[in-house]
Amino acid sequence: MNKLKLNYTSLSFLPILVCIPLGYQLINNIHFGGFKLFQEFLISAFNPKIDNEIIITVINRLNETILIGFFSWLVSIIFGAIFGIISSNIFYKIFNIPIFFYRIIRFFLTIIRSIHEVVWGILLMQIYGINFSIGIIAICIPYIAVNSKVFAEQLETIDYKRFESINQINAPKLSSLLTIVWNPIINTFKNFGLYRLECSIRSTVILGLFGIGGIGTSIFLSFQTLNFRELWSYLWSLAILIILSGLIFKKIKFNNTNKILSIFFIAVFFITILSSFSYFLYFIFNNNFENFNSVSSLFKSSSDLGLFDFLKLILETIILSLLSTGIAISLPPVVIGIFNNNTSKIFIKIFAFLLRLIPTPVILLILLTFNNPSLSLAALTLGLHNAGITSKLLFTNLESQERRNYIAMKSLGISKKTSWLLGLFSQQAKSYLAYCAYRSDIIIRETAIVGVIGSVGLGWQLQESLSSFAWQEVTIVLIAYSSIAIVGELINGKIKNSLT
Amino acid sequence: MNNTLLELKNISYKYKNNLILNKVNLKINSGEKIALLGKSGSGKTTLISVLNGSIKPTQGEVKLFNKSFEELDRKQKSKITTIWQDLRLIEDLSAEQNVNCGLLAENNFYFAFKNLLNISSFKKAHKYMQLCRLHDSVYDKKIRKLSGGQKQRVAIARSLIQGSNILLADEPFNNLDPKLITTIKNLLLENVDKNNTKKSPKTALVALHRLDLLKDFDKVIGIRDGKIFFNIKRNNLKKLHLDKIF
Repeated sequence: MNKLKLNYTSLSFLPILVCIPLGYQLINNIHFGGFKLFQEFLISAFNPKIDNEIIITVINRLNETILIGFFSWLVSIIFGAIFGIISSNIFYKIFNIPIFFYRIIRFFLTIIRSIHEVVWGILLMQIYGINFSIGIIAICIPYIAVNSKVFAEQLETIDYKRFESINQINAPKLSSLLTIVWNPIINTFKNFGLYRLECSIRSTVILGLFGIGGIGTSIFLSFQTLNFRELWSYLWSLAILIILSGLIFKKIKFNNTNKILSIFFIAVFFITILSSFSYFLYFIFNNNFENFNSVSSLFKSSSDLGLFDFLKLILETIILSLLSTGIAISLPPVVIGIFNNNTSKIFIKIFAFLLRLIPTPVILLILLTFNNPSLSLAALTLGLHNAGITSKLLFTNLESQERRNYIAMKSLGISKKTSWLLGLFSQQAKSYLAYCAYRSDIIIRETAIVGVIGSVGLGWQLQESLSSFAWQEVTIVLIAYSSIAIVGELINGKIKNSLT
Repeated sequence: MNNTLLELKNISYKYKNNLILNKVNLKINSGEKIALLGKSGSGKTTLISVLNGSIKPTQGEVKLFNKSFEELDRKQKSKITTIWQDLRLIEDLSAEQNVNCGLLAENNFYFAFKNLLNISSFKKAHKYMQLCRLHDSVYDKKIRKLSGGQKQRVAIARSLIQGSNILLADEPFNNLDPKLITTIKNLLLENVDKNNTKKSPKTALVALHRLDLLKDFDKVIGIRDGKIFFNIKRNNLKKLHLDKIF
């Protein structure tokens, strides 16, 4: 008997098997109480509320969202670049600093980014109360660490010979560093910076659902009052914002040989650093730290959380991550492969856009209208939202790919689906899986959001512990979260390396 | 003329269990022009990398101005300039920005910053580029858009602008046409400044493949399998010597 051999194509489809246990639990959990609500939600999509009052609210809320999103992006991209430099091996080679410090700073950044911005937001809100700047800070903390990883990875691809050649000129070390890292930093910013702005806006919306402000808060309030027409007014306005920003980003082309533009960017760079520090000091000295006393007892108060319960929550979080990742990996190729015609593609694209657009907590709340809260439901939510993102990447890659093999196969009489699979998808499978490995890092962190709402895993426990000011439990949950995310990142890093 | 600038004492260099340099002893005196001959893979590039301090030998001692590399300050180290065989230019920067990189050692951080922003003065760079027969149309072109010969001359201009008095060059005449080779060879071996006036004699060690270029060198070193087979005056070079290394 021949041995089963897995290739990148089959590995892309295999995770769809998670749908078997998932579907079984979901079918068992169906309830019919909320079908009417669900129906109303769908109909409202075509009939959003449009009047003067809602238009003014939308404008105000979008302004807040853009402001929080923009400032958190600006600060996180600049500090991300700085931390990216000091967490890259090139920095340590130039300054002859022991590699021990490199490991410490990398570990520190890994811990920071392992905790989702929503968790940072909830934690900061408990300490400082609801505040416009809390949104910016909550996004900035993990984003600086995420961005620094991207910048550091790019800097580590610098040809060692380039470093050697500049180093041999024996210039002042800071001059050498700047000359070596300048272009990789600019190029990373060009390729990655604007995408991060979109991420910042999405994160602002999610934080808004937890009360930070902006359009997210309005979405949540209209959902709470079951005012679906209003909800869709906010969702469509958010869609317009994202589409418009995407179109603007496509038009923007940075030219770093333009002297005036370069000086402008440098000015923005230094002003942002100075303002961030000034604001940080202002924030420290002008805040009420009454609640901080309770946080300072993080390691003192007792915990009611039993070891068995705690291990169960960890296991739930891991299963939630695995199931969601399975859906996010396999659903796009399965759906695109089965419905492989131009009309279906348009519908799939619209559906994927909606899955990306609607924040995960809202998707979960919608699904809760006809399904009981469960781990499977949380996994489905997270999986669907991320499938919306992975399908966008898959579409983009497939559309830019050479179609010669596909056409050749079709001309041989091979079916359209098989030609698509072997002539198109198989060539993208490796890079698609590499991206999914990166995406699964994010999925692990996002389990916190669905956990909070879907009563699953550590996210739910975190919410419970925060509400009851059980700070020791909060600490334990955060450490557990970090550990899962760090282990996940290590495993995904190995997978990514083997795929690239 | 006889004061030793660079000295290698019993140098060996191992890379992945391969002995690239094997107990090499070498003295380079001030003003000497030495041609380094050897087949590809004989250890020429590694020898140059050890001499400029880019790689640390597995065994032995390298001395510049009678001091080990660790004892030298930045200014002293910058007395050596290297033209690498693979040029090692920064592809994303323009030709003039790359040449200006040669001035990084004598300037502060602000100069590096202005150079990257493209707002520094390129006058000096342009003069050296002119000396290397680079046309002004290539000054602001990105390195990746230049031909092999143009890149070679940018690397040479970057080295010349450093104004160092010790030159280490690994196949610097690659990609150049015969007429240019003579011009470039004169530039490299006769220490000239930006006004094309001669300064103190330059010390040079140049790795070569072509024997017809030996004319202007005082000494010839032959290397094979990481070992120096001969280190003689050019006039004493015989076919017998060449047979040993090629």
